[in-house]
Amino acid sequence: MNKCIKNISKVTSGGLKAGVAALLTIALTGAMAIPAQADETCMSPYMAKIVGQEDYVYVWTLGMEGLGDEQDKLVTVDVNPASPSYGKIISTLSVGGRNEAHHSGFTDDRKYLWAGGLDTNKIFIFDVHTNPAKPTLHKTITSFVAQSGGVAGPHTTYALPGRMMITGLSNNKDHGGRTALVEYTNEGEYIATHWTPTDSQLNGAVKTGKYADGYGYDIRVLPRRNVMLTSSFTGWSNYMMDFGKMLKDAEAMKHFGNTVVLWNLHTRQPKKIFDVPGAPLEIRCAWDPNHNYCFTTTALTSKIWLIYENDKGEWLAKEVADIGDPSKIPLPVDISIQSDDNMLWVNTFMDGLTRGFDISDPFNPKQVYTKKIGTQVNMVSSSWDGKRLYYTSSLLANWDKKGDDNEQYFKSYHWDGKQLTEKFSIDFIKEKLGRAHQMRFGAKALYSSNQSTPAALSQLAIGQ
Amino acid sequence: MTQIILFFSLVFLISANCFADNSATSTRQAVILAPGYGPLGFTAPEVGSYQLPVLSQAGDGQVIDTNGDEHSLSQLMHNQVVVLSFIYSTCSDVNGCPLATSVLHQVKTRMNKEPQLVGRVRLLTLSFNPEFDTPDVMKHYAKGLQEGKLDWRFLTTRSEQQLLPILKKYQQSRQKEYDEEGQFSGTYSHILRVFLIDRKGLIRNIYSVSFLHPDTLINDIKTLLLEHSNQRITKVSNDTESQNFKPLYRAGDPKTGYEQLEYKTQSIALSDRIGKTADLLQYVKQPPLGLGQVPIPLDNPLTPEKIQLGRKLFFDRRLSLNNTFSCAMCHVPEQGFTSNEMATSVGVEGRTVKRNAPTIYNIAYAKLLFHDGRENTLEQQVWGPLLAHKEMANPSVGYVIDKINSNDDYTGLFEKAFKRGPSMETIGMAIASYERTLNSGNSAFDRWFYDQDDQTISTEAKKGFNLFQGKAGCANCHQVGKDSALFMDNQLHNTGVGYQQAMFKESGKQQVQIAPGVFVEVDFAVINEVAEQKPNDLGRYDVTQAPEDRWSYKTPSLRNIALTAPYMHNGSISSLKQVVEFYNLGGVANKNLDPLIKPLNLTTVEIEELVAFLHTLTGDNIDQLVADAFAAPVGDTN
Repeated sequence: MNKCIKNISKVTSGGLKAGVAALLTIALTGAMAIPAQADETCMSPYMAKIVGQEDYVYVWTLGMEGLGDEQDKLVTVDVNPASPSYGKIISTLSVGGRNEAHHSGFTDDRKYLWAGGLDTNKIFIFDVHTNPAKPTLHKTITSFVAQSGGVAGPHTTYALPGRMMITGLSNNKDHGGRTALVEYTNEGEYIATHWTPTDSQLNGAVKTGKYADGYGYDIRVLPRRNVMLTSSFTGWSNYMMDFGKMLKDAEAMKHFGNTVVLWNLHTRQPKKIFDVPGAPLEIRCAWDPNHNYCFTTTALTSKIWLIYENDKGEWLAKEVADIGDPSKIPLPVDISIQSDDNMLWVNTFMDGLTRGFDISDPFNPKQVYTKKIGTQVNMVSSSWDGKRLYYTSSLLANWDKKGDDNEQYFKSYHWDGKQLTEKFSIDFIKEKLGRAHQMRFGAKALYSSNQSTPAALSQLAIGQ
Repeated sequence: MTQIILFFSLVFLISANCFADNSATSTRQAVILAPGYGPLGFTAPEVGSYQLPVLSQAGDGQVIDTNGDEHSLSQLMHNQVVVLSFIYSTCSDVNGCPLATSVLHQVKTRMNKEPQLVGRVRLLTLSFNPEFDTPDVMKHYAKGLQEGKLDWRFLTTRSEQQLLPILKKYQQSRQKEYDEEGQFSGTYSHILRVFLIDRKGLIRNIYSVSFLHPDTLINDIKTLLLEHSNQRITKVSNDTESQNFKPLYRAGDPKTGYEQLEYKTQSIALSDRIGKTADLLQYVKQPPLGLGQVPIPLDNPLTPEKIQLGRKLFFDRRLSLNNTFSCAMCHVPEQGFTSNEMATSVGVEGRTVKRNAPTIYNIAYAKLLFHDGRENTLEQQVWGPLLAHKEMANPSVGYVIDKINSNDDYTGLFEKAFKRGPSMETIGMAIASYERTLNSGNSAFDRWFYDQDDQTISTEAKKGFNLFQGKAGCANCHQVGKDSALFMDNQLHNTGVGYQQAMFKESGKQQVQIAPGVFVEVDFAVINEVAEQKPNDLGRYDVTQAPEDRWSYKTPSLRNIALTAPYMHNGSISSLKQVVEFYNLGGVANKNLDPLIKPLNLTTVEIEELVAFLHTLTGDNIDQLVADAFAAPVGDTN
């Protein structure tokens, strides 16, 4: 294995190989022609990336009452076709309780995987480097709410240099949506709380529209623009409530986020609040160093929004496309942007579809491909080369479909640029595991400097 | 270094041998240069306009300088703002060690021009390859980088043994790379990290490839120096646009007008939830105007100690199976000690509770507790939610007692209040004592009606009261006495709300609001895909098993009714006007409908008058009671 492939000093900022190759292509041919997707890029960019064949997918899984051991667990799936245990579960690690397992993210050195529980506010830190095939529980943070000054619902765990930025969804006072960003060191020590601006404390932010709700959900950053963006979902009361009950509750439906906040990344100060009505969730930023924009999709209003910097250096938000028929609430959930910035994958939970949008013109996304993945679908993760896409089923314990429609799965697909073809599937109910939620990739090559492996780690993507 | 900077001033370069063996690509790859080599893509935040929070204590360890003299890192950091960079001299990755050294060099070059910084800032470059990077090698490495007065030390360690604890303290990953024959190649895989350390030896920032830039680093250094010089940090926060809400004892955002496209948020920061302890006992000793003597059980006389303890328990989220639920999560102080934000409650793990959380204002006067009246003292009632699987889900009484005993912050509190420890009895008595103080009267209505102050309520409200007592017949159940009024009868009635919920056949579509002013019609079939089976609710029948008690519920007090939306036992009605309209139509017909519920033939004006009257029932001490609640510690796990 070439030293450049595994030299972590070269991969700390991610994004790279495809981005680099794309740049090279521009230089040589003047055209963007690299068809690569990048769900590795859905993670924080400041870490080593797996650009070849990933060995493992870690699935942060919710325990289900009445199923198996009923508790949340980290499930490791072998996804390397060259492995004898390809397509099999090779490890499960139960953590105790149902914590509303949701999202997870690696530290910048990719040694630890931080996984949050939206209900109990615990953060489980898994050691994924000692034996990447069999993660262990390294530490559990149980004091998140107390230390942060009342932030609840740790959601995105996003790596910044030497530290993790965690978005909250709620608070310990009213279980509503007012919340904050909370910073921890990689060692798990609390650093600071940054409250999302509200009308009574805008903290220097400018309301560009009518809303300043103080809500939170996802976070992405563009260091080269010193920009940090956060989106807004809803508080504990809603995300833990039975979905059907909530849809019939007029009061509850008034408590969703309608904002995206732009922050000064370096100072963590909020600068602008954009009106993005209907619960903007996942944020994904473009990779090209000249593309100063990010996408988000609104769960309730079913729109794609573009958050972009214009030629005057101003950041703006614009609604750019519908997702399905918004009047039927298809409920867009996870999204993923290709590393050539030409395609955005959007999953819609209610109809179980994954939808490919051509975003080569970011102001005019066009749906160009759909495939039904299951009765319900939530997360999508793509390999760096874009050839493999993985899907899971669970949205939130009490929002998942009921009865026979409550399929819980991990599915592996191959993407040839035109079609998705299923490679294998694991039934998480049959396996007595629970509700499959977020996926992160692992590779042996990340942690061993003298190991021959098909996995290739990326170089630096300064673009981000 | 100069050569590197010049050479790499292009956007990227082709790396000659990278990825040569990489099966994933056969193309030669380019390396994009890190931002630290070029101009910063944005204006660095102004010095002193922001805070750099403390990350951790900078690790100590023994190092040697280029003369071979030994130092401890802590000595080198003493009373200096320090930039610490880990490198190895033979590192060839342009975005690795050379980047760090290049940025430090730029920092030094620029800071050399500011003599006031000399002696206050020190740069440290420490090798993590002591085997090769001897003091002599480091001296050679430092050659040409030492011009000017700003102190820049090049350090190494005597051995791996001396180095490893330091690397561990700074979480500096480093892996030796081996060639195909298993021989050390002389290169390391490592993550690039540069540390900014203040004069107290605390790490204040960490930079990696995408973040390391001389402009931001210099401003960070100066920000720390400014902090140390005790100069006032410029307050950048421009809150002139922040709205001044006064008072702040209401819901986080009342969502008024959310049905309209013109809706604007009126959100309050959680930090504006400022607490102020009140003398709660006074609301029992001298009940506010309009309220009679507060019934106090003989076996649980009120004391300040019990009230304070009860308040602490009331707000303690640890008193639940998974440490997420206190009483106050459903009885939210600034939401009328109920929840304005949902129709029926949710408990632990989001479990569906079938009824609306009732307010606990003036609960001391209630003879029936719970909507179905199944409990008769507050002391006993407390244990219902604590043990209910769908509410706080504690598995047993003993579990709650053990939990309280295991938390140090309760040490001695029960003994002080009760002369004995926590028990099923004392826990109930403490919480009941707090709840019994939440008495709120002396409303505009009270001052008008009981104090004959004619100016406190409007003519419209007075007319509303006449309707309330007369034509509308409300006072039949929501009773008003000569000297005091609870606006309830301590009885249960069937209004048809429960009947409708149990017997209503869903068909067609449900209107669902998806954003301010935006509604969609959704098929029930679609909603039901994600809906659990709705729990049934038969009201008082659940207690008595008597068919005539089906769908009978307790009459709630109307005091503070303007604060406690949504209404009815299932929160099915959003506004007071809709409630009056509901009664105007005579409720929902069913076999057990209370004979008192019948069409009222109220005019639109009369409906408005009744609503105006209901708005005069808000007590005058709400702010004090809510501020007191804000002062209570919220119990969370540490």
